[in-house]
Amino acid sequence: MTNVARPSPIAWLIAPAGLVFVLFFVLPFAVMTAMSFYSGNPVTNPNAFLTTRHYERFIFDTAGIFHEALWSTLRIGLVTTLVSLLIGYPLAHWMARMQSRLGHALVLMAVIAPMLTGIVVRTFAWMTILQDKGVINTTLMQWGLIEKPLPLMYNEFGTIVALVHIYVPFMVLTLTGVIGRIDERLEQAARSLGAGRLRAFVEVTLPLSLPGILAGSLLVFALSISAYVTPSLMGGTDVLTLPMLIAQQVGTSFNPNFAGALGVILLLVSLAIVVAYNRILARLAGGQGMA
Amino acid sequence: MSAAPNRRPFDAGRAAYLALNALLLAFLLLPIAIVLVFALNPTPYISFPPVGVSLRWFEKFFGSSEFMNALWLSLWVASVVLVLSIVIGAACALALARGNLPGRAVLTAFFMSPLMVPAILTGLALFQAYLLSGIGRPVWGLIAAHTLVAVPYVIRTTLAVLHNFDRRIEEAAAVLGASPTRVFFEVTLPLIRPGVFAGGVFAFIVSFDQFPVSLFLVVPKGETLPVVLFNYMKFDLDGAIAAASMVSILLALSVVLVLERLIGLKAYVKL
Repeated sequence: MTNVARPSPIAWLIAPAGLVFVLFFVLPFAVMTAMSFYSGNPVTNPNAFLTTRHYERFIFDTAGIFHEALWSTLRIGLVTTLVSLLIGYPLAHWMARMQSRLGHALVLMAVIAPMLTGIVVRTFAWMTILQDKGVINTTLMQWGLIEKPLPLMYNEFGTIVALVHIYVPFMVLTLTGVIGRIDERLEQAARSLGAGRLRAFVEVTLPLSLPGILAGSLLVFALSISAYVTPSLMGGTDVLTLPMLIAQQVGTSFNPNFAGALGVILLLVSLAIVVAYNRILARLAGGQGMA
Repeated sequence: MSAAPNRRPFDAGRAAYLALNALLLAFLLLPIAIVLVFALNPTPYISFPPVGVSLRWFEKFFGSSEFMNALWLSLWVASVVLVLSIVIGAACALALARGNLPGRAVLTAFFMSPLMVPAILTGLALFQAYLLSGIGRPVWGLIAAHTLVAVPYVIRTTLAVLHNFDRRIEEAAAVLGASPTRVFFEVTLPLIRPGVFAGGVFAFIVSFDQFPVSLFLVVPKGETLPVVLFNYMKFDLDGAIAAASMVSILLALSVVLVLERLIGLKAYVKL
């Protein structure tokens, strides 16, 4: 460690990226954190003073909306994660166990293609499906199954449906890697010992894929609690999440200091999740011999 | 799962499994197909089932100066981001893989971290930094922000290629008398090119579809396409949005095909 591996001249190639990251990533986040402890803009306003009042405003929540916003952010994230897991697991299992290379490539393409379609576009797609005059309500009314449109959008339900659609590919890709690494012969052995297909799955494959389930869930949770486009378009006036609150503070209330405090709070929540995610991935990489 | 000799003619469990997966695939793909239907539907509001085929929404989209300005701005920003992030990202990946740097794992994690931090916070932090330093909201500030979130993709795809290739090829070239510079340009660079290009394609898409990072960094009349679409959708849901969506989707699909040709999609699945 001492003098065996000295940095080679190639190491200098890291400089441009380092510069960009310090100037446009490290510094801005430092500025955001500092701003959250100031009463105003410390550069233009000489009277700006250090304060913790933005955090107090959030913690004591006299307006009565901040705790509810935090809670609904977490609730939407949690439900989105659970549904993504239920939808993503069968697809990932199918993909990981598929014999045909062509079939595998096609399914993979089908999973990745939505990922490459912007969030705004995919949210629009769900608006055309779920709105009062959308595909589902029109069809159901034409068939005479319902009298008036079902409230599918401008609420938490619509928000979660669209979020699941947007983030389920991340779940599938994380799970496929993990399930693919589980030796298929373990399941076959269980079955030849008399276990049914379902039992072999529940008692062998499912427990072995648990780290993948955790990693995928944390990823989807971290992504969905920081979503802005989908809740603000699909949620209507019913849904207020932390990212929406931040955008409000910047856009309409023009209170960048309070926005900074909300940003720090959201950052802490997601960093905690990311640390857990990395722990699990590291254990996954280290524990390959368990199968 | 390989064809067992005593395979039964009809396997209900297997059929249910396949049907469930077909249904889930439909859930993934149908919404995108529906956008196509609405883009070609002639009625002034979203109506279902479609009543005909028309290109009027594409005409409206391509005829609107607001949309066109936004489209060109997005394409321009994404192109600059593509070039910048290829150069910065590939250099960084080479340094990480070949530079014998101390604390490599930590550095790699650091350069990946824009993907871990909520994108809307990256936008907010940059907005605050620009505000405090009095820069305002220039286009280069937006390009820098997009480059920051695009570079990790280039680093990741380039690192994947660098880990897979045989270093002995470079050593052989050096043994045969090539100078380090020549080895770099004639051996290393051609070998990592597919990874760098693939990363560049992601960088382009990440910038072109970028919303959360752009939200606080664009100025009125200087908004990128996703921001314009978002603002439009708050009040109006007509076919012009569908047409704009189709243009983005076609772009994304052609990119997927390019990717598949360049490296095969498998290399990308290592999330």
